[in-house]
Amino acid sequence: MRKRVVITGIGWVTPLGHDIETVWRRLQAGESGIAPTTLFDARTFPTTFAAEVKGYDFPAAIGASYPRHREAGRNTRFALGAAKQAWTMAGLPDSGIGAQTPGLDPYAVGTYMGAGEGGLDFANYTHNALAALPAGTSSIDTRTWGNLALKNFDPMREIEQEPSMTITHLAMEFNARGPSLNCLTACAASTQAIGEATEIIRRGDADIMISGGAHSMIHPFGVTGFNRLTALSTFNDNPRRACRPFDATRGGFVLGEGAGIVILESLEHAQQRGAKILAEVVGYGSSCDAFAVTDQHPEGRGAIVAIREALKDAEMTPRDIHYINAHGTGTKENDSTETLAVKQVFGEHAKHVPMSSIKSMMGHLIAAAGAVELITCVLAMRDGVLPPTMNYEHPDPECDLDYVPNAARKAPVDVAMSLNFGFGGQNDTLIIRKFAG
Amino acid sequence: MRRVVITGIGAVSPLGLGGGTGGGLWEGLLAGRSGTATLRRFDASAFPSRVAGEVPAFKTTDYVPKSYRKATKIMARDIELAVVAADLAVKDARLITRGIAEGPATQGGGWFKPNPERMGCNIGAGLIAADLTELATAMAQARAEHDVLDLARWGRSEDPAKTSGMESLTPLWLLKYLPNMLACHVSIIHDTQGPSNTITCGQASAGLALAEAARTIQRGDADLALVGGCETKVHEMGLMRWTLLGRLNTRDNDTPQRACRPYDTTAAGSVIAEGGAVLVIEEFEHARARGATIYAEVAGLGATAGAAAAGSPTGIDTSGEAAAMAMKKALAGAGAKAQDVGVVVPPGYGIAAWDAADAAALRGAFGEHVPTVVPARAGIGDCGAGAQALDLAAAALMIQQQTIPPATNVTTPIAGLPVSVKAESRPLEYAAVLTTALGGQNSAVVLKRMDHQ
Repeated sequence: MRKRVVITGIGWVTPLGHDIETVWRRLQAGESGIAPTTLFDARTFPTTFAAEVKGYDFPAAIGASYPRHREAGRNTRFALGAAKQAWTMAGLPDSGIGAQTPGLDPYAVGTYMGAGEGGLDFANYTHNALAALPAGTSSIDTRTWGNLALKNFDPMREIEQEPSMTITHLAMEFNARGPSLNCLTACAASTQAIGEATEIIRRGDADIMISGGAHSMIHPFGVTGFNRLTALSTFNDNPRRACRPFDATRGGFVLGEGAGIVILESLEHAQQRGAKILAEVVGYGSSCDAFAVTDQHPEGRGAIVAIREALKDAEMTPRDIHYINAHGTGTKENDSTETLAVKQVFGEHAKHVPMSSIKSMMGHLIAAAGAVELITCVLAMRDGVLPPTMNYEHPDPECDLDYVPNAARKAPVDVAMSLNFGFGGQNDTLIIRKFAG
Repeated sequence: MRRVVITGIGAVSPLGLGGGTGGGLWEGLLAGRSGTATLRRFDASAFPSRVAGEVPAFKTTDYVPKSYRKATKIMARDIELAVVAADLAVKDARLITRGIAEGPATQGGGWFKPNPERMGCNIGAGLIAADLTELATAMAQARAEHDVLDLARWGRSEDPAKTSGMESLTPLWLLKYLPNMLACHVSIIHDTQGPSNTITCGQASAGLALAEAARTIQRGDADLALVGGCETKVHEMGLMRWTLLGRLNTRDNDTPQRACRPYDTTAAGSVIAEGGAVLVIEEFEHARARGATIYAEVAGLGATAGAAAAGSPTGIDTSGEAAAMAMKKALAGAGAKAQDVGVVVPPGYGIAAWDAADAAALRGAFGEHVPTVVPARAGIGDCGAGAQALDLAAAALMIQQQTIPPATNVTTPIAGLPVSVKAESRPLEYAAVLTTALGGQNSAVVLKRMDHQ
């Protein structure tokens, strides 16, 4: 008999703020975290704006244990702050790093993140490369490069780029010695991480999992990569309105950054310690398009499988779903394929299920997107409020569902579904429901 | 409970490329042969360590269907390694997928066409390094004084007729370097539409990838999966990082074959390497029904984190406690006692402090009964996310062959550790694989002999 899994804590660091209630209030108000890029000089890039995390005070967020995380990458810094919020909300005792947490078996506390890589040491990387490339040549002088690199690069800064470093820091901070994994499946990563972490608790390999996602690709080569793929919105004149999920004039996604963390816990463990239960994770579905490196399967084949598998896992039918938090990136392809997939699974009922995209406000957090969107589902359920899809003005005949356009809506939500799809054909779906004993 | 077995092995390492016992890995292990040599890929003369485990030359296009040859242009080396290993594994398992052309080679002999929707893919990956020369030549178009990159000229050149640095990169440039592109390409080539994942946990990636995929089979979400991991650290950034972190042997450049000597009293550091393996894992009844050759059963799995004990991101859990706990979990899952296990493949970086922590972990897990120790990567080096995949391939072959290879390069083992000294045929009921990654992720796998064919 598999164990039931509940969420007992949530936390996030996002372009709309660094605590649960501020961000949630701003999402309901339809505010935007998208503005001209300040992290680097993006003026000549095809896209000159992004959804940046601003004013985040990492040392204050992490407190006394800051010295141990001094070298942590930007992604990991976001994750630590978000995890601290979630851990505190879950009512778990904060006994300081490395110490035995009273009442918790450290081997029953695990970490499963969909975290991205840490940021490149850009100044050193570019300088060393250029200095080792004699003018007019097209091949690096590796001897020159090596001498410079060994002098200039910092080993800690280098190792912090490994995508495993976020779980390393989380395991250190929370004395989590149980199963520790990171999956990096592009834009579906943190949905998948939370789904697989749920499975770990279900089968009894941990009582508590610290799970979610963290990522920042707002750096020159990250934006270069997405710009070359022509995946980003280039509505440079109006950043706030640049991300237009499901709108006929949509032109790409907006790169965001941040972290979202949930504390997953077996129901019995949560009840034994009298924890407040925020939601129950009841369904998880995962599939692979096996179709193309960039494009989604045009008929949404993989997405359909992931949604169906999640419903089956939850023992639910489409009529049980009250709200869908869409992947809704604002690219031509995603939004129509996603709509098609939902219609395929939900049939006629699809039109009656509100489905919104918060990426219209906080951009696309890439590996962290799924986690902040699941947290949004928890809050929508708690308050009976659906966050809007902003910037929706021009209906697209291919996107003909109820996207909660431009204004939050009061509606009771007992069950919510979160969808995420990634480059490479990764599709993941989670279903949560109000805990009802 | 659905049981999971290994039915295909494809290994790509400095010892060679091949499926099953073929291609160099098994022969190399048995002979105690080392594949590490003087680094040839680039000029490493500025570096104190100039040894590497490089994979013998191959052409990726030989391992993909004709229709997919063009896609090899957007594959970083890590991806190529995975694509080749997957091809070898799928053929070794006698599976007919979208990527395996039907023909005389697939007639009879138990070849089988799996259901794509019931087949998953989970391949561990590392931090893939962008090609330095490709990026540098693009950057040169926005070079400012003192060799600084001028971002104001990177995105758009001042002369609109000229290509800017950014524009000179291929449109799909980013996709060469996303870690999930190993699994992505493999899933497209072999049409695996089931659960797919990319575990990025350093050297423990492959064992954790196998474990995660095995769970999907156990819980009924898939019948087969391609699992493993591949990575190359044989590039300028890899050598620089591992040098600055003090992980490499800088003393034995003149005897590169013997540079990595795990659990030897003379251990002097690790060697950068490239490689990995893909295994086909399969639900037992599914494998039996199609008459597959079974190497071993995936009998027990364990995962823990040692970072809290290590106290820093690059530290070592010298107690070995967390790693031992992972192995104890795997033993318990397999229903095996310490004395039932005939051989263990530990990480064996050849870095004295890490080797000592391994020894502590093995004693913690097995007590008085530490099995014969075979550091399978002694002649390979550290290929990151590919590392434990090769260990798993080696352990599965040991079970199937009922043979324990010697520990390559070890002549004076550290006290109290039963390091294998010679190739030996011996009844092997269980083989264990344990890896501790830099960063503290631990992965343990226990494999069991399978007599029911």
